[in-house]
Amino acid sequence: MTTSETKHETPPRALNARRAVSWVLGLPPAYYVLAILIAVAPLVSATLINPNYWFVILKQSAPLGIAVLAQSLVMRVRSIDLSVSGVFAFAIYFASSGFLKNYPPYVTVLMPIVVGLAVGLVNGVLVAYVRASAVISTLSVSAILIGVVQYMSAGRAPGSTPSWLRVLTNGNIHGLSYSVIVWLGVTVLVSLAFRYLIVGRYFRAVGDNPRAAETTGIPLARTIFVSHTLAGFLTGIAALVQVSALAVGTIKPGFDTFMNALAATILGGVTFGVDRGGVAGPFVAVVAFSFLFAMLTVFGIQEPGKLIVQGGIIALAAIIYGARTGRV
Amino acid sequence: MNIVTNFLKVPYRAGAIVLSIGTLLVILIAAVITLPGFLAPENLSNLLAQSTVLVISALGQTFVILTGGLDVSVGSIISVTTTIMTLDLPEVVRVFLCIAVAVAFGLANGYGVARLNVHPIIMTLATMGIGQGLALIILPIPGGRVPDWLSASVAGSVGPVPNSLFWLIAASLAAAWLLYRRPFGLYLFASGGNDFNARMNGVPVERTVIKAYVLSALFACAAGMFLAGRLASGDPKGGATFGIESVTAAALGGVHLAGGIGSILGTVVGAAILGIVNNVMNLANVSAFLQSVVKGLLLLALVVSQRRKTIGL
Amino acid sequence: MSMLVEMVGINKSFGATRVLSDVRFSLERGSVHALMGENGAGKSTLMRILAGVYQPTTGSVRLRGEDVSFKSPKEARLAGVSTVFQEFTLIPNLTVAENMFLGHEPRRKDGSIDSAEVVRRSRELLADVFPQLDATAIVDTLTVAQQQAVEIAKGLTSNADIFIFDEPTAALNSTDVAHLFKVIRDLKAQGKAVVYISHRMNEVFELCDVITVMKDGGWVKTAKAEDFNLHSLVATMVGRELQNFFPPRSQETGEPMLEVSGLKLHDGGASVAFSVRKGEIIGLAGLEGQGQREIMRSVVGVETARAVTVRRRAGGSAMSAVNVTSGFPNAIAAGIGFIPEDRKQEGLFLRLPIYDNIALGKQLNRNMASVAWRSVSKVREIIKSLRVAAADPGAPVGKLSGGNQQKVLLGRWLLSGVDILVIEEPTRGVDVGAKAEIYRLLRDFSDRGGAVIVSSREHAELIGLCDNILVVHDRKIVGQMPAADATEESILGTALGSSSAEDPRAVVH
Repeated sequence: MTTSETKHETPPRALNARRAVSWVLGLPPAYYVLAILIAVAPLVSATLINPNYWFVILKQSAPLGIAVLAQSLVMRVRSIDLSVSGVFAFAIYFASSGFLKNYPPYVTVLMPIVVGLAVGLVNGVLVAYVRASAVISTLSVSAILIGVVQYMSAGRAPGSTPSWLRVLTNGNIHGLSYSVIVWLGVTVLVSLAFRYLIVGRYFRAVGDNPRAAETTGIPLARTIFVSHTLAGFLTGIAALVQVSALAVGTIKPGFDTFMNALAATILGGVTFGVDRGGVAGPFVAVVAFSFLFAMLTVFGIQEPGKLIVQGGIIALAAIIYGARTGRV
Repeated sequence: MNIVTNFLKVPYRAGAIVLSIGTLLVILIAAVITLPGFLAPENLSNLLAQSTVLVISALGQTFVILTGGLDVSVGSIISVTTTIMTLDLPEVVRVFLCIAVAVAFGLANGYGVARLNVHPIIMTLATMGIGQGLALIILPIPGGRVPDWLSASVAGSVGPVPNSLFWLIAASLAAAWLLYRRPFGLYLFASGGNDFNARMNGVPVERTVIKAYVLSALFACAAGMFLAGRLASGDPKGGATFGIESVTAAALGGVHLAGGIGSILGTVVGAAILGIVNNVMNLANVSAFLQSVVKGLLLLALVVSQRRKTIGL
Repeated sequence: MSMLVEMVGINKSFGATRVLSDVRFSLERGSVHALMGENGAGKSTLMRILAGVYQPTTGSVRLRGEDVSFKSPKEARLAGVSTVFQEFTLIPNLTVAENMFLGHEPRRKDGSIDSAEVVRRSRELLADVFPQLDATAIVDTLTVAQQQAVEIAKGLTSNADIFIFDEPTAALNSTDVAHLFKVIRDLKAQGKAVVYISHRMNEVFELCDVITVMKDGGWVKTAKAEDFNLHSLVATMVGRELQNFFPPRSQETGEPMLEVSGLKLHDGGASVAFSVRKGEIIGLAGLEGQGQREIMRSVVGVETARAVTVRRRAGGSAMSAVNVTSGFPNAIAAGIGFIPEDRKQEGLFLRLPIYDNIALGKQLNRNMASVAWRSVSKVREIIKSLRVAAADPGAPVGKLSGGNQQKVLLGRWLLSGVDILVIEEPTRGVDVGAKAEIYRLLRDFSDRGGAVIVSSREHAELIGLCDNILVVHDRKIVGQMPAADATEESILGTALGSSSAEDPRAVVH
């Protein structure tokens, strides 16, 4: 663009101010929540504004953050991935059961990613090509994975995770955990891909109007397949980071991971077919969520209270967004 | 009888029910032949008691799915109901409180979906969290006592017929009456079939959708009552799995998640398949954990066999 | 005699587009009133106001001498206005009978729907109009013609005073049309009033007492049917100076650029073949729903035909085959673009910026992992050359008017560099001023060495825009004429002439 053109198109100052206001008003709810939390934090407790505390919060959010990124990929193209808990359960069990003890370490590192990718491929085939319901098929895949884990473990908790793997969470650069760096890394990669690669264009188009995408010549099924596959791959990375954060394995990572992931995605301004929050929105939402829960803990609020607050926030965010953008 | 005649009248709207019934028969025959204990009266009454919560919650879920929605808050409502029934209040008040809570949840879900345009999964996920939190506040750990009459109405039997069968039949008839004998039923099918055209023809689409969510919550409330009676106590997480299982049962019974296609008979059959698979695998000493694998595969197989025109949720 | 309906000074705008201006319309008891005009003249919009679907921006509607303003179709129906819409309003998973009575079902004492009564009354009604139609059949399993019959039957279920039929016969065969006419005459004899919208002139003269002509969203003339003849009616409807409205036709057309052959839409059907030359615009004309849409879509691979061979000029003079049966992307790769009739549903991404919508032209048929084409200045250039009325490429397409939206779609294919364009209903929902611009843009495209295939319900548009017209009837091409010699009558004559002996149009039974 030439200079003269730019000059010509610079709008008057008043318009700029109005634009800035409408830009702020258009931000996903996550930004408001985080801003409010940061504003009230000093009043609640001095620890909450200690930078080291923030590093801890970020470290704890890393697995969820990556899972949210994965979820936002499929929600952009109007699908959903309910198999997150299954992938987590599977990866944690295999990493902590000792099965992989006699193999080189990279097998342990690759295992969760391969599992995630395989699950993503299966989900993608079922949803995009078989056209099965995304809710039912990803849920069934998850149920199968969890069942396999529970069958193999016979209901007992497995052993401890390999200690060398914990470096991923405990190791740090200037206090910033490696896991957070991985989280930031994949977030930047995904946002660059969305900005500059064809895949980002196709995701936006399919999310906005799948039927028009097909009539325009965008490969609809392949786009949805790719989104599920990428989401599976990222979920695998999230599972790996989760494994590194655990000392001992568990066979019940629970439904919470999934619910948190979905909540953060919506709070971050990404819902079925709407990607106004971009890649940053869900990221901010995860941080806001973790900070909120930390604060609730300071207040002495237990799990039930957190569930209610979480539900309330999802509903409120969805209603505000629904009222503004038409259909959520 | 309602169920059968209506199914015969408009079989198209019942979806792939023949496939579901076939699956049920195959499983039944296999069970009778291979497991001698299956037809034993104790086992059958056990099977019924185990399946009733699922059938009742799945019937409510069917109304919502027929509109093209989904209600995952069903599980939380069941849990809350069991905890409210253990509260230290007059028994009548407990019952009314349960119903009031269920109606409130149903209205919130329905209003959010129909009026505020929130996606059903998101809306009911939010209320699911709230309901679960509420249940844990009322009763942090399983326990407490429910009214004796409630336990008796669930556990007892009239002659050889276990009481749970009466619960099951009453819920099915109520659902069938609503779906096939009330204008609401036709409007439900119309709203799920094509909501825009339904509106053009003067169908009160929004009101119909809200009613569907309220009914789903009320059926979940009834399921919660039954569960409380069966446990003779409350359990704040006792219903948690039914949010998803009720959807599974309906889908197994040929109810289309896209809306507009499904039947009461289908849902009962779907829930029966799930219940019997559980029961059979218990009898055959299949690990409880492997059952989850088998159910997952079964669901996948049935969903894959119902091909749809569009890609989506 | 007092009028049953009087609509005076009706104006209606959708956003920035004004579709009706100062229209009047009145309806007498015991009469059949034809509402005539080209597509886009505003007939359907006017009738939708009477039926409560739309509310007028200004103007008054009087029913039996009293001012009314219907907020919903239901209110209008309760006031005695029954409508058979052009678009189907049926629910696919309900039976014929349930659809006919949806929203006003006969009830039992306990408030439940009397399904036996629903079926009985449906059968009774159907026996008069469409005796072969099964009242308990599910609508989704019916053919288009049968669905149209249900739509008509539905309109007859209300105990109304006013019946509006919007193109009721488009998919019906002659036996069913005869049944329908008998019913309409019965209604007239009972003192009811009927509004009849149709493009079939012979039907209008056979059935109607009064004719109102509309053009470009305005009222033109109301007179007794005897006062019109075929020629004067068409002249009143078309009425405008076509020469100024359309760009000049191409002086010379070159070698064939695209050849379609052996196109079969269904097993055992006739095969369709035609070709388009360089610099040529050809139009597919005919009655509604005769296969134009399917032919267009099969040529580019958006829909799959039973069989089709598409060949285009590749370099020099050789023709090379385009494998459209495995999807539209192959056609794009071969330089063929497609613009669907329903822009909002099938063509545009309404919430995405103009930039994204146009830039897609350079982003199709690419590997998903490759870098996407980007150039704001190039898109700006296109926006400028097409005179899209929005300087900011970042504005969402959904905010533009119909004409500007159509330009965005044209821009997408211009950017992608295709030289063959297949375009359905190029000016649907486009206001008159912008129509001329669209025509000019299409002609510019062909003059620069491109080829265009157009389909349109507005035959005047095809006559003005195209070089050659193909008349489609019953899924085959029944005639071809140079557009310069064509008239609306000659097109209709060709379409219907082919069926005078035996009516092969879609059959209800």
